[in-house]
Amino acid sequence: MPTRGNKKKQAMPIKKGPSQTLEKLKDRKITADIDKTIAFIDEILGVNVDLTIRKFHVFGQYDAVIIYFCNMVNPNVINLDILKPLMYMPPHLQGKHIPIDQLKDVLHNDALYHSDCKYESYLSMLIESILRGGTLVAVDGLEEVFLFETRSIDKRSIDQPATEQVIRGPREGFIEPLGTNISLIRYRLQSPDLRIETMELGLRTKSKVAVCYMEGLTNPELVKEVNARLSKIDIDGILDSGYIEQFIEDNHYSPFPQVQYTERPDKVVANLLEGRVSILVDGSPLALLVPTVFSQFYQTIEDYTERFLLMSSIRLARLIALMFSLIFPAIYVSIISFNPELIPTEFAVAVAGGRAGVPFPAVVEVLIIEISMEILREATIRLPQQVGGALSIVGVLVIGQAAVSAGFSSPITIVIIALTTIGSFATPAYNAALALRLLRFPLIIMAGIFGLYGVMIGLILIANHLLSLKSFGVPYLSPLVPAEFQGMKDLLIRGPLWWMNKRPSFLQPVDTDRVNKQSFEELEASTTNALDPKNDKNQQGG
Amino acid sequence: MESRQITVIQAAAILVSTIIGVGVLALPLFAVQAADSGAPLVTMLGVLLAVIGLVLVTLLSMRFPNHTFIQYSELIIGKSLARIGSVLIIIFFSILTSLTAREFGEVVVTSVLRSTPVEVTVIVMLLLAAISTRNNIITFAYIHTFYFPLLLVPVLLIAALSLKNAEVINLLPVWGTDPKKMLKGMLTIAALFQGTFVLTAVIPAMKKPSKAMKASLWGILIAGGLYVIIVAAAVSVFGSEEIKQLLWPTLELAKATSLPANILERLDAAFLAVWVTAVFTTLFSSYYLTIYFISHLFRLREHKQFSYFLLPFVFVTAMLPQNIVQMYEIIESVGRIGLYITIVYPTLLLFISILRKKRGNPIANQMVDPNR
Repeated sequence: MPTRGNKKKQAMPIKKGPSQTLEKLKDRKITADIDKTIAFIDEILGVNVDLTIRKFHVFGQYDAVIIYFCNMVNPNVINLDILKPLMYMPPHLQGKHIPIDQLKDVLHNDALYHSDCKYESYLSMLIESILRGGTLVAVDGLEEVFLFETRSIDKRSIDQPATEQVIRGPREGFIEPLGTNISLIRYRLQSPDLRIETMELGLRTKSKVAVCYMEGLTNPELVKEVNARLSKIDIDGILDSGYIEQFIEDNHYSPFPQVQYTERPDKVVANLLEGRVSILVDGSPLALLVPTVFSQFYQTIEDYTERFLLMSSIRLARLIALMFSLIFPAIYVSIISFNPELIPTEFAVAVAGGRAGVPFPAVVEVLIIEISMEILREATIRLPQQVGGALSIVGVLVIGQAAVSAGFSSPITIVIIALTTIGSFATPAYNAALALRLLRFPLIIMAGIFGLYGVMIGLILIANHLLSLKSFGVPYLSPLVPAEFQGMKDLLIRGPLWWMNKRPSFLQPVDTDRVNKQSFEELEASTTNALDPKNDKNQQGG
Repeated sequence: MESRQITVIQAAAILVSTIIGVGVLALPLFAVQAADSGAPLVTMLGVLLAVIGLVLVTLLSMRFPNHTFIQYSELIIGKSLARIGSVLIIIFFSILTSLTAREFGEVVVTSVLRSTPVEVTVIVMLLLAAISTRNNIITFAYIHTFYFPLLLVPVLLIAALSLKNAEVINLLPVWGTDPKKMLKGMLTIAALFQGTFVLTAVIPAMKKPSKAMKASLWGILIAGGLYVIIVAAAVSVFGSEEIKQLLWPTLELAKATSLPANILERLDAAFLAVWVTAVFTTLFSSYYLTIYFISHLFRLREHKQFSYFLLPFVFVTAMLPQNIVQMYEIIESVGRIGLYITIVYPTLLLFISILRKKRGNPIANQMVDPNR
């Protein structure tokens, strides 16, 4: 019965803190008696089938035990680097008797092959280490145990980033383990200034969170603020960097993302070099970048790897697509329902002909098609890949065609919605595209009520909201407003690399210079035509 | 606490976008009523008068770079007298807000949304402004700077496209026919510049208050230049007699022009849509100024709570005029009274402060509270 269940819950004492068992053991140390140590650990972790407790003799003399979670460690390391040297005495010590007070040093200095080894005596630390995939070796008679870092978790290989593909540029994307991700960053940024600070967040998951920044480049106040915000997160589990984003963003109710995420290590490095801070979470293939301004959402890494003239024009196209995805259906609705005199007469007649059999007003028609488009899009993501492709073809081609011939919608509406949808796919950042996708609906409704006037009111509201947003104190529309000339070189167009010789000043970096302009001028001045045909000996000989 | 952040360009942009608003739509009519073909000249003279007024206000504000108008008027002439002045200013700007909203509401109802009641368009505009005033003065500056290019483009575009139909003969004689009416016309046109008073709220948040004069001159010259261009374009296309028959000659000008290559057949609806931003910035400034001054009068740190509190009062005031004709009569008389409040009163304050040798601390890099 439900009532009884409720009562039972109320009667139970509310558990406080992350783990009651560890809290009780907080100050308990182990003793020299290994049977007691085994009993302790067995009591706490013994119910788990994957816990391995194996007794053996060190050098055939001392009782010892090795404890680990068998699925989280590398068995080869345990067998060859830990167990074997502990059982066999090293050749140069053979025949000697080792007293118990020297045993620890002998084991550490002469016997063990494993590099990451430390001593520990607090019980709670032992438990935590085992849970993380460490291996514990306790020897009878020693007041401290050995802890080895033997963690080995299965991971997928480094793949192409699925959501941020480029034609020109590195092909690597982050994977789940934090260590691999840090190594991906570090091998691109071999600088002693790269600082990676880690902390544990999540009461129960104890997820490792790494804060990366460049010492002497990133503004120290920013690093301080990021750390301060992170340290105030108090939640039971952090399963992805998205959890962190939702805690540290400035405005939680804004549809616009104020933190950028990426799965590209090269993008993280580029942003670190601009003076941003990156946050990585163990178990998440997506790194966060703060502070974020709006212009980042339509920039891609390819803008910088390909030549500037081409990418500037492509960036402009992307920007148009972004605007399209926001306002196109709304403008269509308002022109059709309120101001058909705006468009050329021939076209207006064609549109009216297309709409002849449609029973609904334009706004209802557009809303219906938009919503079914959203459903199709969502379904395509959720379905297994083999089915998804078929569904999208069925959806787009068949339903669209059928809707028109059934007199359900005019062909021009289908064209408008298709353009809008494709436009929203052209935005590189999924979360920004999502925001614009969402805002499209209120705009369509405003257009249905007030026409162009309503669309403008909606756009002004959106723009004012954008102008009042801030990410870690940086105005969201910088460098457009407040205007900053240096930043404008990377706003609508992507200026040549030597042109953008300063870091964006809205990030207030300590070190502002990025490109040595003088050396570029020297490069320009000193180029010679090394293979000029007139120098070709073969040609001259002939 | 935030540092002073508003730059000279931002201050100038605030002025331009505050000045250019719904008044532009009827401007050629006012100018022609005063001086017939001398309309551009009378506009220029009106701008000149407004420049003088703004320069005096700027000089006064620069004497007290850390205080707003409400605060330093109390320093100059004492609390009780200054409070009367402040209350008058607040009332004036709330009326200005409501009249702006009403005027644009009428424009929208007359020309695009013919079956929508004027109450709806007015309340939508006022709500838009009220929501936006819940930001601090720095965001206020950002918003104005962002919309600034949006004001220039349509005006210049329409002026350039109307050149096709322009007749220079319509502009002759440049001094008009009846110089006596000029003075009245000058005052009417100068009254369109009353929004510049917003500078008194901007200067305390400026990065370098000493450069405020530069900002105010640039701002008013750009806005004044656009006014003259619009009047000249309208008069040269329609001629003065025809304009007298038109209610909003600028809108008619947009109607008469079309984009090359027939992209859009008629421009008036598009022009009006873009013009929503221009009206919004004007409304935003006067609304903001009103609640900003109220919060200062009552010595409150926040002005946000007044955003919605003021809304019903402004709305009711906006609905008071019975029709467009009466509305324009009220606008003209309110504008003339406004000249006393926004030019004569500050000028008096300036002279008294010079005589009493009062001035504020010229500290440049002081911190200001962004919520003031």
